[in-house]
Amino acid sequence: MPHTAEAILADGRKLPYVIQDDPPRGGMKYTYFAPDKSYVVQFFNNPQVAADPNTHKRLEAIIGKYNPTRSEAGGGAPGGSEAMAQYFSTRFCWPTDIVRSPEFGIVCPAYPANFFFTEKASACLPLKGKDKRSKWFTSPRNRQYLEESEIGDFRSMLQMSISLARSVRRMHQAGLAHSDLSCNNVLIDPQTGSCVIIDIDSLVVPGLFPPEVVGTHGYIAPEVLESMDLPAGHPDRKLPSSYTDLHALAVLLYEYLLMRHPLEGPKIYSPNSPEEDDFLGFGPQATFIENPHDTSNRPNDLYFTIHDLGPVLEDLFLRAFVDGLHRPNDRPTAMEWEKGLVKTWDLLHPCENPECAAKWFVLHDLRRPICPFCGTRVKRENLLRLRLKSQLRGRPGQWVPAGEVDVYHNLPLFQWHMLSGVFPDEKANRELQAYVCRHQGQWLLVNHQAQGMMSPGGNLVPTGHAILLRDGAVFRASGGERGFLIEVSQP
Amino acid sequence: MADYIRRLPVYLLLDCSGSMMGEPIEAVRQGVKALLSELKGDPQALETAYLSVITFDSSARQVIPLTELMQFQEPELKACGATALGGALNLLIDCVNREVRKSTDTQKGDWRPLVFLLTDGAPSDLETFRQAAEALKSMKAANIVACAAGSRAETSYLKQITENVLMMNTLSAGDMARFFAWVSGSIKMSSKSLDAKPGAAIELPPPPQGFVVVP
Repeated sequence: MPHTAEAILADGRKLPYVIQDDPPRGGMKYTYFAPDKSYVVQFFNNPQVAADPNTHKRLEAIIGKYNPTRSEAGGGAPGGSEAMAQYFSTRFCWPTDIVRSPEFGIVCPAYPANFFFTEKASACLPLKGKDKRSKWFTSPRNRQYLEESEIGDFRSMLQMSISLARSVRRMHQAGLAHSDLSCNNVLIDPQTGSCVIIDIDSLVVPGLFPPEVVGTHGYIAPEVLESMDLPAGHPDRKLPSSYTDLHALAVLLYEYLLMRHPLEGPKIYSPNSPEEDDFLGFGPQATFIENPHDTSNRPNDLYFTIHDLGPVLEDLFLRAFVDGLHRPNDRPTAMEWEKGLVKTWDLLHPCENPECAAKWFVLHDLRRPICPFCGTRVKRENLLRLRLKSQLRGRPGQWVPAGEVDVYHNLPLFQWHMLSGVFPDEKANRELQAYVCRHQGQWLLVNHQAQGMMSPGGNLVPTGHAILLRDGAVFRASGGERGFLIEVSQP
Repeated sequence: MADYIRRLPVYLLLDCSGSMMGEPIEAVRQGVKALLSELKGDPQALETAYLSVITFDSSARQVIPLTELMQFQEPELKACGATALGGALNLLIDCVNREVRKSTDTQKGDWRPLVFLLTDGAPSDLETFRQAAEALKSMKAANIVACAAGSRAETSYLKQITENVLMMNTLSAGDMARFFAWVSGSIKMSSKSLDAKPGAAIELPPPPQGFVVVP
């Protein structure tokens, strides 16, 4: 019978939780819920782990000075403002407190409600109340059982990818490594394009003894798998670190964007046993299914590939799964992923086929403006590019390329499209500056609140007024030294 | 795109002898229903697990062949007759040989099957049982968990099949529900942490409260 117990926290506060028989259990911990389900209280499966002073030190650091969901003033990470803490608090399910009694444990916030399925999610599966683990959405087999309204589109998957890369970048920036990033530890909501990283308690904290984590099948870096049988402390044994996170991150991003696993292909690594075949295929001999130099693991029916994601992401995936698969140092960093994904975001184009399931695609090749998902070609009048240029510092009049934006009806433009030195991260101003719309057969860029925007003819464009976007037109998006020059091009 | 996911075959060997009549067999039926619903709610289990049911009374039969979860139809279970556990083991060997894909030069093999055996008594076909248990143990083709249910179950026989023997004290609906919840937990765990290391022992969650692991 369920009954309520009380957890006493490190600071003496008391929190009630509901004891149930056979509580949900993960690899490391088991979980009890608050009476109102607003938080969970978790205890360790292994009493030795719970008693280990290293575990305590690590968790104190995680909850305190390494905590990006708490501002510096509130006892969290140095440099963290209230707004930044707020930004990350919806992207991490970060532990909030240490439980001292009845035994050592932690308190975590409950996942936000949008990461649980409602009864509308599936007509044929009992999903109500289950958490939205990414395999529901990235496995074509599972996906077919979900309602269309659940599964989002290519744009929302890309949005989630940016969010994940950013969250991992934030951890790595502080020197933390997650050590078990996987389809089970990142919940995703394609409907809103958001994701949340959970199971933060096994983070690797700089200078402290690392936790005992094995990782999750399919996400363990090859070098970790390969050296798993070496005794603890052996110099060749590879432990989870930010480098192994970068393997798991790339696998997750590949799954979000391409709906398949980058290493699961037809190659037979060993005829002896499934265990050996699996070990070789995810460990020492792992081969990327899209490796251009080694096609031994390439399925013969790949129709949507990394090439279709544009040159920036193609390059990053090749670095992650060809150069860096067995050379951890060569893997792209989370920051590179974040930047590359954001660049790619600016090339998104809505598919003109109303039946297209992906709805959006990366329009990276203007000579071949075709949706790779459904094969629909973009009409010529709907093709328009903004080429952003920034002024070299101290060299007025010298402009260098700073990015490209693909145009579509209702394209929003933000500060990072107007000014150099602005990156759309947790610190950015996310207020709309301008937008593009198609009006009576013409493309207009409407100034919403940018200061100092100048028309191609050299006149100030006040807010509420618009610039006509024509092939070859050049104008200043914003005033001041940092304001971009925008060149309009129509192929 | 073709499916390159390795299947995890799961066999349930269920005792439907006369002593299971009434509440116990009804509890097993509910257990299978709950198991299926639990597994369908887990994305990795749904992708990888395939389920088969073998029942045994005076003889053994495979009532559901190895089937993916979405196609699985709950079997009709009736309790009567003796306990042909030996026959069930022989049938299991047959089914595994026939249904589980072997690793070869040209084919990705299935994972080693997981077998859950539930019985409330002792084998009535002793001679067959001894041979079958021997054959099964030497095959090492499956990870087998045997559960002795209720006071009349003989764990010593089960020990001849596998090292993993559990004992539950009663055949009550509550214990049966806990057993099937544990089975689904074990399958879910296996479908996630499918052994990275070749030849390593399987990892199962701790048994439910009130269950004893027979040493």
